[in-house]
Order: sequence, then C-alpha cells, then structure tokens
Amino acid sequence: MENAIEVKDLVTFYGERQILKGISFAIPSGTTTVIVGGSGCGKTTLLKHLIGLLRPASGSIHIHGNDIAAMNDVSLDEYRKKMGVLFQGAALLNSMTLAENVALPLKEHTKLKESVIDIIVRMKLDLVGLSGFGEFYPAQLSGGMKKRAGIARAMAMDPGVLYFDEPSAGLDPVTAAGLDELILRLHRVFKMTVVVVTHELPSIFTIADYVVMLDKGDVAFVGKLEDFKLSEKPIVRTFLERRPEEEVYSPDNYFKIITGA
Amino acid sequence: MKIDTTVHSGYTAISIAGEIDMYSSPALRDTLLTMAKKKEAIVIINLKDVKYIDSSGIATFVEALKKMLSYGGKLKMAQVPDRVMEIFNFSKLDKVFDIYGSIEDAANS
Repeated sequence: MENAIEVKDLVTFYGERQILKGISFAIPSGTTTVIVGGSGCGKTTLLKHLIGLLRPASGSIHIHGNDIAAMNDVSLDEYRKKMGVLFQGAALLNSMTLAENVALPLKEHTKLKESVIDIIVRMKLDLVGLSGFGEFYPAQLSGGMKKRAGIARAMAMDPGVLYFDEPSAGLDPVTAAGLDELILRLHRVFKMTVVVVTHELPSIFTIADYVVMLDKGDVAFVGKLEDFKLSEKPIVRTFLERRPEEEVYSPDNYFKIITGA
Repeated sequence: MKIDTTVHSGYTAISIAGEIDMYSSPALRDTLLTMAKKKEAIVIINLKDVKYIDSSGIATFVEALKKMLSYGGKLKMAQVPDRVMEIFNFSKLDKVFDIYGSIEDAANS
C-alpha cells in the first residue's frame, strides 16, 4: 500500500528541550491512523508538524510525496488547502454563523460562485448531522455540535488528509462515541487518509486501522491495530491496561527537586 | 476535465471525462446554466468516464437541477461509476437525481 505520510528523522525542540528525538514512521494511504501516547509524549507537537504549523529542527515530512518541512510559505499554503483539521476546541469563529464558518475556506481559496458555495455548505452541515443549524452561532451550540461543525468546516475543501486533535476531549462518552461513528462513516465513504491524535482507548479501538505510539519523544510502536493490541512491549501494555507509570524520582531526588539543591 | 455536448432528437447529452473538482467545475456550471437558460427540456449527463467528483461538482449538478425544475426541465444522470454512486448515496443525492444505467434508458424513460 502506498504511503500518504512519511516522517523521517524528525527532531524538534521547544527552547533547549528536545521534544521529538529523531522519529521515523509511515502512514499508509486511506487508513485511519491514531497517534497515541501519554500526556507530554509529543503527539500534539507531531500533529503541528504534520499540518505545517511548526517547522522541525531537522528531518523530513513527506505528504503524498512532497516534503512539507522543506517547503516555502507559498507552497505550504497550497498544501494546507488539501488538508482539513479539527482542532481540539473546534476553533470556530464566534462572530460568524456555522454556515459562514464552513463557507470561509471556499470563499478564501476558490473561485466558486456564492450559489454553489451555499449548496456545498448545506451538504457539509448535513453530512455531520447539523442540517438546519446554518444560521446558529457557535455560542448557541453544545460541545458535540461544535465539534461536528468543526468537521464540516475541515471537510469544506474535500481534503485528501483529515487531521483530528483529541476529538473526544471534553465530550461525554455517548457524544464521543457518536463522533467516532461519524469519523468512521466519513472515512469509509470518502476514502480519505484520517489521522487522529487521541489517548482515548474506546476511540482507538473503534476508529483505528493503524497506530503510531509515541513515548517521551520517541516512536514506541508503529503498526496495525490488531498488532498493537497483541504487542508485548511493556510501554504498550502499560498504555492498554491503563497502568500508572512507575515513580520516576527516588526520595533523595525528590528532596533535591523541591529544595532546589 | 473534458465536456462533450451532443444534441439528439428529444434530449441533449453531456458526456464528461476526467476529474470534476473545484478548479474545473466552474466550466461545467457554465455549460449547464447555458442549457437551463435555453430551457432545454431534457439534459442527460453521461458520467461513465468521470474519475473523480468533489463537492463542488455535486453542488453544480444540484444547482442546475434546481434551475431546470423551475421551468419543468429534467436533468438525468447515466452510467454513474460506483465510486461516484457511493458519494451520491451517502449524500442522499440518489434520491434527488434520476439515475439510469445507460443514455438509452435515460432517453426512453
């Protein structure tokens, strides 16, 4: 199977702190891949690199054959038109109605007539179960509805790759399950490559074909969901069995930390 | 995308080949709205050689259908590839368009 995304020797820092330590992996085209790992493992930082919001210190990120880490700003803007992102808080513009939010990328990036854009907006809102809510403002919606509206906007330009940053965050289990079902249906019909950053086990088991697991800035596992479930790697078992990580500090170390000695 | 229009007795056939996307769909829109302006009674779209259609292509067909229905015209779809049909089904557009297996079936219905 052809790869949609190939990351090689990716290194990034926040200040002097190394966040991603030369990671390499590939994501096959047309799969739903989850990027998992505990808090602080670097998964959101990795996502920011995949969508071109951060530039790596070194390494390459090939998306459909093009290295976005080496692109100039103009080429990167073109690349961004072919991808969709659902940010954690949905990132809708509060001063605009849902219809205006979904129409925004189409108005900014295409020469489509208003009448065609209006129909696309209605189609996208219907896809995510928000028919009739086009004139509502984000503040008038529940958390789950905002996420759905965010998906409608992410889908506006018919992206080849759709990214989700912790889609279930802040949602009740039933609403989160509904969102997982929607991600599955969209993936099945539109055959997009879907990349989801999450640490929710029910979501992983529902939507994933493929798993990339990070641990402290390194790749701990890459492979199919069924192999992930059967993996004997201690870090994978710890994650899947929801065991707390072992205490990092000895009492002596802890004393030094809190006294600054 | 390539558009080929042929006039037959009782209907006009539009054969489309290639990809209908955000860059090419405005040309398709021009063709279809010209038909609607002339109040063509029956327009049959042959989708056999369409490799890909995006939302702008589907919206263009929906807009043309709306305009044609306003004067009693008919917009029919023929030879819809499976991949495109899947998107029609998911978007419930299989209920909106009249879809036929062949141009002949569409012309004779």
